Amino acid sequence: MKLNYIILLFITVLAACDEPVTLDPKQVDPVIVIEGLITDRETYQYVRVTETVDFYAEGGSRPITDAEVSVVDNEGNQFIFEHNPREIERLDGYYLSENPFSGKVGNTYSLSVSYSGQQYQATDQLLRVAPIDSLEVIINEDEFADPDDPNYYYEVLFYATEPQETDDYYLFKFYRNDTLILESENDIYFSDDEVLAEQIDGLPTAGFYKQGDVAVVEMYSLTNNAFVYYNDLINLLENDGGMFGSPPVNPRNNLSNGAMGYFQTSAVASDTVMIK
Amino acid sequence: MKTHKCGYASTKTKIMKKIYLFGVFTLAFCLSAFAQEGNFTLNGYVKDLDNGEELIGVTIYVEETKSGAITNVYGFYALSLPPGEYNILYSYMGYQTIRQQIDLTKDMVFNVELPSSVTEMDEVVITGEAIDANVTDIKMSRNDLNIQQVQRLPALFGEPDIIKTIQMLPGVISAGEGTSSFFVRGGSADQNLILIDEAPIYDPSHLFGLFSVFNSDVIKDSKLYKGGIPAQYGGRLSSILDVRTKDGNNKKFGGTAGIGLLASKLMVEGPIRKDKSSFIVSGRRSYVDLFLRAADQDNFVHFYDVNAKASWKHNNNNRFFAAVYLGRDVFEFEDVFGFDWGNATATFRWNHLFNDRLFSNTSVIASNFDYKMELDDNVQGFIWKSNLQEFSFKEDLNYFVNPSNALDFGYHVTYRRFEPGRLSPNAQNSIFVDTELQHQFALDHALYANHEWKASERLTLAYGARLSIFQNIGEQDVYLYDDPKENVDIERIDTLSFDAFENIKTYINLEPRVSLRYLLNPTSSLKASYSRMVQNTHLISSGTVPIPFNTWNPSDYYLEPQIADQWAVGYFKNLKNNSIELSSEIYYKDIQNVTDFADNAQVFFNNDLSTEYRQGDSWSYGLELMAQKKEGVLTGFISYTWSKAERKIPDVNQDKAFFANYDRRNAFNAVATYELNDKWVLGANFTYTTGRPTTVPSARYAYEGYQVDYITERNGYRLPDYHRLDLSATLTPRKNANRKWKSSWTFSIYNAYNRSNAFSIYTRVKQDDDGNIIGDGNEKEARMIYLFPILPSVTYNIKF
Repeated sequence: MKLNYIILLFITVLAACDEPVTLDPKQVDPVIVIEGLITDRETYQYVRVTETVDFYAEGGSRPITDAEVSVVDNEGNQFIFEHNPREIERLDGYYLSENPFSGKVGNTYSLSVSYSGQQYQATDQLLRVAPIDSLEVIINEDEFADPDDPNYYYEVLFYATEPQETDDYYLFKFYRNDTLILESENDIYFSDDEVLAEQIDGLPTAGFYKQGDVAVVEMYSLTNNAFVYYNDLINLLENDGGMFGSPPVNPRNNLSNGAMGYFQTSAVASDTVMIK
Repeated sequence: MKTHKCGYASTKTKIMKKIYLFGVFTLAFCLSAFAQEGNFTLNGYVKDLDNGEELIGVTIYVEETKSGAITNVYGFYALSLPPGEYNILYSYMGYQTIRQQIDLTKDMVFNVELPSSVTEMDEVVITGEAIDANVTDIKMSRNDLNIQQVQRLPALFGEPDIIKTIQMLPGVISAGEGTSSFFVRGGSADQNLILIDEAPIYDPSHLFGLFSVFNSDVIKDSKLYKGGIPAQYGGRLSSILDVRTKDGNNKKFGGTAGIGLLASKLMVEGPIRKDKSSFIVSGRRSYVDLFLRAADQDNFVHFYDVNAKASWKHNNNNRFFAAVYLGRDVFEFEDVFGFDWGNATATFRWNHLFNDRLFSNTSVIASNFDYKMELDDNVQGFIWKSNLQEFSFKEDLNYFVNPSNALDFGYHVTYRRFEPGRLSPNAQNSIFVDTELQHQFALDHALYANHEWKASERLTLAYGARLSIFQNIGEQDVYLYDDPKENVDIERIDTLSFDAFENIKTYINLEPRVSLRYLLNPTSSLKASYSRMVQNTHLISSGTVPIPFNTWNPSDYYLEPQIADQWAVGYFKNLKNNSIELSSEIYYKDIQNVTDFADNAQVFFNNDLSTEYRQGDSWSYGLELMAQKKEGVLTGFISYTWSKAERKIPDVNQDKAFFANYDRRNAFNAVATYELNDKWVLGANFTYTTGRPTTVPSARYAYEGYQVDYITERNGYRLPDYHRLDLSATLTPRKNANRKWKSSWTFSIYNAYNRSNAFSIYTRVKQDDDGNIIGDGNEKEARMIYLFPILPSVTYNIKF
């Protein structure tokens, strides 16, 4: 819910100023962070294992390079994950499946990570995803005048049919020439179908395009648990400090033993359109 | 799914009503017998000589018996005395004291009109003999706000606001400037019952709290009860803010107008039939949007208030009043997105004297609160509406038995209807389907009685109780869950269906109220009180400051009543002929079933909201000191509060106790006005409080591309201390004296030394002022929001 933001925005517009402040947070022991994704695409699937760092530390999460990572599905297939097999420095902390494989719709996947004498487990189910019916490119005339991006006035609209008889949850990713689009750095595009009608016709996607761009829309299936995780995550990312919204709290996830992050399994529907 | 039917509808209600009617009449009957033989009654109304407004809280003092009475909220008083000649003093703040000789040979009606002390500078009549309520009244933990003073104090954007002054009282905490919420003795904001002419206001904020709904032009009297709450009031745990509006001048036409920076207002009052009936109408509207429109802006915001009242005195025994309040806030963003909210209340009152000693007030009250949000878009367009309504009937009786005994008793019944939300598509191609959350209904009965007994010259005792009978009624489907507190994998296993008015759940609670006053000497007293309060209407809010879009929920199948027990003791002392009042109180308050949300609760638009709320314990205690000077050229108060408020709620903060969002250890406030000469009045506010607790990250990590805070503890960090000084000067030109139109100017400076007071802390990826990310996008920064820098303002007021 972005309501808190609107209110904060209003108050800020009215009179406020907003300055950096240095906190003096409590020092806490690092906590393990696990980010895993198994899709129904035939690929090297990945699990990322890192540790939290001090709030004011430089750089991102600290990679953990010596964990043991494996995934089993409910058919008994086991997949071993190797740390950064090609030893690319920026992929430190990433564990890739030994061989490419595709997750199967309907299967349940269980992750197990062992690090420093501790065991971390998670389970998620790979659910089917509704297909994308089509993408449409339109010209948004309001964007002609935008001085920051003079040529970016094409918008991509999304058409799909939402199955009404089931409870479904979706995560969307939008790419412009292979670059993920986030309109602001905390945006997550996801939805449940509680208030959605069957026909999703002409829903605008994030971002604008110029002529010659390639637009890709990906739609991931989520379990209820994953939806709850993303919902909690965005509430934390956009938290107003607990003034009008709830105080910040760690998201609820599917990992055991106090680990942060999420182990996600998704079917992916994808469509590409060339802007011309 | 199976469906159960649950039986016996509202027969209980009918029986209750019969019991009540029987009760009132037998009680009244017994009481007349109980009244002492041979005494006569002196009663009447005390009014303002200039405009006929009934005055609330006027002290009536009988010199011969050294006893007295105070006018009630309708300006009525009654005394019962043996036959004889008496000197009776009628005294009231800001008015000249009248001494009246009365030869009491039969029951008498004596209405008094008090002249105001116009030239307060030299004509203030301080009567040494006049008894003083601070010391002698049994009520403690109560603050009366002087509206004349509030109007001369410095105000944000020059708009006087009683809630901003309430936030400076001892025992009252604010969440920060620019908010209209207040927190009384460790209670949350929804535990305050805010009444305008007896009708509850569910959200007292304009512009998310920059102003409150109370237009100072129409306020006659406002009282805040923080403890020792009389049995007549109930329904909320922590405080009662009882605001009464003016009845309108029944002698001549007049009015006021004010032009401020943000809002303007106009009030007109006058007699309909001289001395018999009167009206008052007042309106206020903000016009920021007009500036914005002129500046070619696409974002608009405005609010308005309308207060209207008519009163009609049929005769001394029958008086009628009808009052209406309407207020609304409207926000529009680029003609596409908008939201609005507002309160509407209506009160009809009948004051009736059954006999010389039995005063009755019958009220019929309606209150509505609603909000709406609308996005105008072909694809994503929707309208989201929510509202809640209540209708009450109240019968309150004051029985003045004899000089030593007074009885208050009555019956209230309230019907509430909650419509938590409906989302509808507002375009043909909208991606949304029409979705509505379930309505809820409640019926709330209360029977109360209170006996105030002057046991001796020194000791006064008041004891009573309120019996609250609360019913959550149909029509409603109650969902049964596999685990009612599981809020991730919600699994409904069954549904109980209830028909209209069918009883779903009944909660019966007895709320005892006891207070006593012991007079140590004529200028000092000790007081003590205990009260139990029960709350059956809960605001489901997870932030520090509620917003209009939070949901109100009745006690129901899952949600239990909140119960507060409060103990308070105090020492009260007056100095210098009662011109300085000192008070000191300590309190302890314990709340059961305080309502909060589980961590990560989904607060908005949730049909399974009952899986998200949690009920736990809250406890708070504190010391309050106050010195108040009500008369003379310098008036005002200083207050200091030391307090602590903690909570322990299942599934919140890993089940560990934590400081309430509004816990502030020290609060010091000073409010003063100084009459420099007959032209200038100066005013000042100073406030200092410990920073409020907040939650900050202990570490951070990356998940996908997001930089996420890692949280270990709720409210484990404190914002910096808050302090601020405001100044004002009111100029009343001397030439006014001969004018029909009297004008005045109020100049205010808010935050005079330009302190940057923290409003809230949030975190974001480190970036510069233009939003460009600094560094590799991994680093984060904490940001502190400051609201108001030094803000001068000017208001022009006219009185006619």
